[in-house]
Amino acid sequence: MRTADWIVLILTLAGIILYGIARSRRSKDIEGYFLSNREMPWYIVLLSIMGTQASAITFLSAPGQAYTDGMRFVQYYFGLPLAMVVLCIGFVPIYHRLRLFTAYEFLETRFDRKTRILTSTIFLVSRALSTGISIYAPSIILSSLLGWDIYLTNIVMGGLLIAYTVNGGARAVAYTQQLILAVVFAGMFLAAFQAVRLLPDGIGFPEAMRISGHLGRLNVITTGIRDGGFDWTDRYNLLSGTIGGFFLALSYFGTDQSQVGRYLTARSLRESRMGLIMNGLVKVPMQFLILMVGTMVFAFYQFHDAPLHFNRVAEEQVRATSYRDSVDMLKATHARLQAEKRTLVRDLGASAGELGTAVRDSKVEALARIQREDDALRGRMKGYIKASGASEANDTNYIFLRFVLDHLPAGLVGLLIAVIFLSAWGSIAAALNSLASSTIVDIHRTFARPGTDDAKELRISKRYTLMWGVFCILVAELATDMGSLIEAVNILGSWFYGVMLGIFLVAFYLKQVGGDAVFRAAILGEAVVILLYAYTDMAWLWLNAIGAVAVVAAALVIQPLLARRAR
Amino acid sequence: MADDPEQPPVFRTWRSWYLLVTGFLLLQILLFTLLTRSCA
Repeated sequence: MRTADWIVLILTLAGIILYGIARSRRSKDIEGYFLSNREMPWYIVLLSIMGTQASAITFLSAPGQAYTDGMRFVQYYFGLPLAMVVLCIGFVPIYHRLRLFTAYEFLETRFDRKTRILTSTIFLVSRALSTGISIYAPSIILSSLLGWDIYLTNIVMGGLLIAYTVNGGARAVAYTQQLILAVVFAGMFLAAFQAVRLLPDGIGFPEAMRISGHLGRLNVITTGIRDGGFDWTDRYNLLSGTIGGFFLALSYFGTDQSQVGRYLTARSLRESRMGLIMNGLVKVPMQFLILMVGTMVFAFYQFHDAPLHFNRVAEEQVRATSYRDSVDMLKATHARLQAEKRTLVRDLGASAGELGTAVRDSKVEALARIQREDDALRGRMKGYIKASGASEANDTNYIFLRFVLDHLPAGLVGLLIAVIFLSAWGSIAAALNSLASSTIVDIHRTFARPGTDDAKELRISKRYTLMWGVFCILVAELATDMGSLIEAVNILGSWFYGVMLGIFLVAFYLKQVGGDAVFRAAILGEAVVILLYAYTDMAWLWLNAIGAVAVVAAALVIQPLLARRAR
Repeated sequence: MADDPEQPPVFRTWRSWYLLVTGFLLLQILLFTLLTRSCA
């Protein structure tokens, strides 16, 4: 990084911290601290919801996904708008009527204390671990690409935001998320603009789109049908995105306190609903545009040298092993394919209109064949990295930043590094706030002596926020030495989300089911999800739907059995 | 809407908002399908 980049990075980060501190207002009690006295307008709620969901990995991974796999990742968000509608109709009015602090409070009202404590404990464990990983994941990419110390990067990634989160609470979190999103979108727009600007003369945005389309990167809608049947192992398609994505979004926005805590800050039910509805309207276009940045980066690399593998450290590590010669051969073939591709894309890009249909089609076919060969080379390279045990073999999350560092001008690189830090801060701050609120409301209050005054409870809440901040950084530091932990934590999340949603669906819609039945159904549902995960290759989006349906079905069966036994 | 005495902004009912969200999603899926087909 150059001096200008450091200046932009430091000024942007410092600006956000100072803004967060300035926006912190002294709270009298935990209602002010965790829920901003329930006085937020809908547009702040909307930005807070968006800032909480979009972590650093969102902005690193999505462009990389578009580069390697095309735009079809956007289908993952198709269930989200429908989930927003269901939340507005079924969940949010109940949360508002009961004036809840956390979603899990409702479970004690509806079932019993053990169901509330079970669900809040699942939330605390899974959210704390995943927040630790959301500190570690961007840190490892930055430290790998920039040579920074990973332990220190973890501390900056997860620690500086504590300065405004501990004292400012939900209000500081919401207001900083506003500014963070503005910086993030400005940075992403400038990166896409630069990618198009750096294309050769005569190649503009339409030509870049056409080339990406020829090479299979504009595959926005895919059916998941293969060899005449539906492929349940296919990750992103119209059906898995709409149904699996619906259950995931319903679970995440309806039962995860990091999101519930955002729309409970609204000044009324109307403002909560508007925030969620607007999120349903803007989310898909927003993700489409972020993926489009990746498509532009892909088009850019059709005219410039693209690395065979975007994680330079992993490449160096594998070249230090016995795979060196094999890797060098792959790189030589890759360079030859790139040169062939460049000639074809120039013809197809700049002078496509002058070519006859037959010539154009043959060139498109030749280009697609070369791309398939090149994709296969990338696959073989990943295989060597995996076999050598050198480092993380998947380079999807490295693509966008590598492009930024290698090709963007001074100053803009600093801004985009700041984008990574800030997007991480936005979601981590909300996570710490929600972890602390669930700890004090669902756990601490349950076991503490009654009669604690507001000021003392507020002091304890701040300590919990700080404690969770330190804990999440420690998870990130530990993850540095335990690579496989990251995958385990991500899997852990997909195990529990569906089941948590199932518990809430029973609570809302099956009035005849009691606490004992839902408790047993949750354990049974969890077993179904784990067995499916262990013995099938089912794409994980489906696990959310199956977990929720399993809990609801099991509760319906268990409740009459328990009633009969009681008689 | 006993729980929500305030009316939704712009539209008269919340149902209109829900239809807007769903309709907009369907429109996007249609446009994305056309984009995918035209670039295939």
